[in-house]
Amino acid sequence: MKVAYYPGCASHGLSKDVDIATRKVADLLGIELVEVPDWNCCGGGFLDEYDEVGQVALSIRNLSKVESLRLNKMVTPCSVCLHSHRLAQHKYKEDSDVRKAVNKRLNRANVQYSGTVETEHIVWVLLRDVGVERLKQHVKRPLTGLKVGAYYGCQMLRPESVMGFEPAFNPRSLETLISITGATPVTFPQARACCGFPLMGSNPDVGLKLAYNVLSGATNAGADILVHPCNLCHLQLDTLQLKVVERFKLPQPLPAIYITQLLGLAFGFTPEELGIPKLALEVLRKKGVV
Amino acid sequence: MSTPVQVQDLQEAEVVFRVKRYSKEKGDYWQEYKLKVDRFTQVTEALRRIKVKQDPSLAYRASCHMAVCGSCGMKINGEPRLACKTLVLDVVKKFGTNVITLEPMDRFPIVKDLVVDMTEFYDRMERVKPRLYPSKEVLEYKAEHRLKPEDQRLLWKFAQCIWCGLCVSACPAVKEDPLFLGPAAHAKGFRFLRDPRDTITEERVKVLADSAWRCTYCYMCYHVCPRDIEPVTAIKKTRALLKSVKPMGPAQEVGHKHSEAVYESIYTYGKINEGVVYVKTYGLIRSLVDMTYAFRAGKAKYALEKVEPVKEVEQVRELMRGE
Repeated sequence: MKVAYYPGCASHGLSKDVDIATRKVADLLGIELVEVPDWNCCGGGFLDEYDEVGQVALSIRNLSKVESLRLNKMVTPCSVCLHSHRLAQHKYKEDSDVRKAVNKRLNRANVQYSGTVETEHIVWVLLRDVGVERLKQHVKRPLTGLKVGAYYGCQMLRPESVMGFEPAFNPRSLETLISITGATPVTFPQARACCGFPLMGSNPDVGLKLAYNVLSGATNAGADILVHPCNLCHLQLDTLQLKVVERFKLPQPLPAIYITQLLGLAFGFTPEELGIPKLALEVLRKKGVV
Repeated sequence: MSTPVQVQDLQEAEVVFRVKRYSKEKGDYWQEYKLKVDRFTQVTEALRRIKVKQDPSLAYRASCHMAVCGSCGMKINGEPRLACKTLVLDVVKKFGTNVITLEPMDRFPIVKDLVVDMTEFYDRMERVKPRLYPSKEVLEYKAEHRLKPEDQRLLWKFAQCIWCGLCVSACPAVKEDPLFLGPAAHAKGFRFLRDPRDTITEERVKVLADSAWRCTYCYMCYHVCPRDIEPVTAIKKTRALLKSVKPMGPAQEVGHKHSEAVYESIYTYGKINEGVVYVKTYGLIRSLVDMTYAFRAGKAKYALEKVEPVKEVEQVRELMRGE
């Protein structure tokens, strides 16, 4: 199958490994990811506080590029990019004031969009389009014995009325994917809580505390490692993890990897091929997984 | 234990309600009640039947049974909801089990069973002065109140709050940050801040400005609100309106720089350049310190990844230009 692919800004920066692993896994599964030509930022969840109309218009520009590829599905590995695009589509459809203002700008900038594209998360595509059985067939190296915390965060789930893939208070997608790898999924109380990343730009003390809540909650539930579905969770829980560890004097890190990195390991890719981050690599070695 | 239920065309079922109970004398404990319900039974109706027919000691709050009074907020299978706006069989279908847990809302002190003390919530609401302060002329019948249709359309949503407290009970930022007013108060606050008929704008700005930058944009309030108010949207709009208002509180000062940097980055490159945004928000020294954490996590190789600017960046800029 062929889908348009929207990597998002962070996965061309410090979350590059999310992009690397996602492309590898998709390729193996026969999903052809066609990068959206000349894509722009979705607004990162912040632009709309300055310019709501502009944020919608920028998302629509990406979707119009997808239409020009004659595709009707755009997939992203980033929950925030997913959220921005889906919310923009929702507003464009439901709010006539926003639609009018957006259309003016689209006309001015010569962007045509007829509304045929769905934005989806890579997790949704893996479960809905590829399916559990086909995913299982690709497992070469079951990750038996590894306990993996299933961390959803916010934006892939909420608001349920706009995201729509699974119940926001009873999601199972990550547990299902973790089980496919042969690892043991660990459900913990903070699985749907915020990682704190969006507060890092205004109130970092509380932002780090929220990250600590997630890490300590998963550790207490017995997880060896976390998986998450988001470029920006990756920045908070992987890139900045040692800051959380230091601030709250955690006895050891609880490394976080992206869900396609975990799948990729089970599918037989090497940690290097998947860009598995350093902190995670240490734990995976200790657990005898790699 | 729960029984898997074949759900889609379910017309009636026997449901087990596991209720988290509390009394001063007994502390916390779980109690189960069995009840036959049909597809029209709301959770409040189920509770009423349990109380009347099985256990008069069970305490819960409910009044209007039509999502107007805001009395019956509770956690239903862990999800903060109005019990009256929730059909029992919908929950059975959604969760695939005929066992439903009922718990009091988080955050607020429990009085008894499912009844919580909402004083802290009302205090939050009072802090934003949730009423219109009209001009002297209007009060003396020398002028009339006018509201443009577009202003009414903007404010309508945020005026629909029924003070149920669900959003505050579920908000992660409220839990950690005493300086954050919380979602409901912000929705109410924005509704009056942006109302052209109101006269105490300056006072409202002081209350709302810094707090607005303490929201974490997790969309919990948007999800749980039974009136579709979208408090988080009100908070975004408050930031937009007050971004340059001085004097700035600590969260506003950093947040303002951050959003400005995000805007500039998208305007310049069509994309977010993390490094540039970080340095503009926190300055070079703090950025370098934080970079050491990234390097120790093995991310040095990605720090120099070059952002490839959008080729048609002029088109992006055109989309970002207002009228």
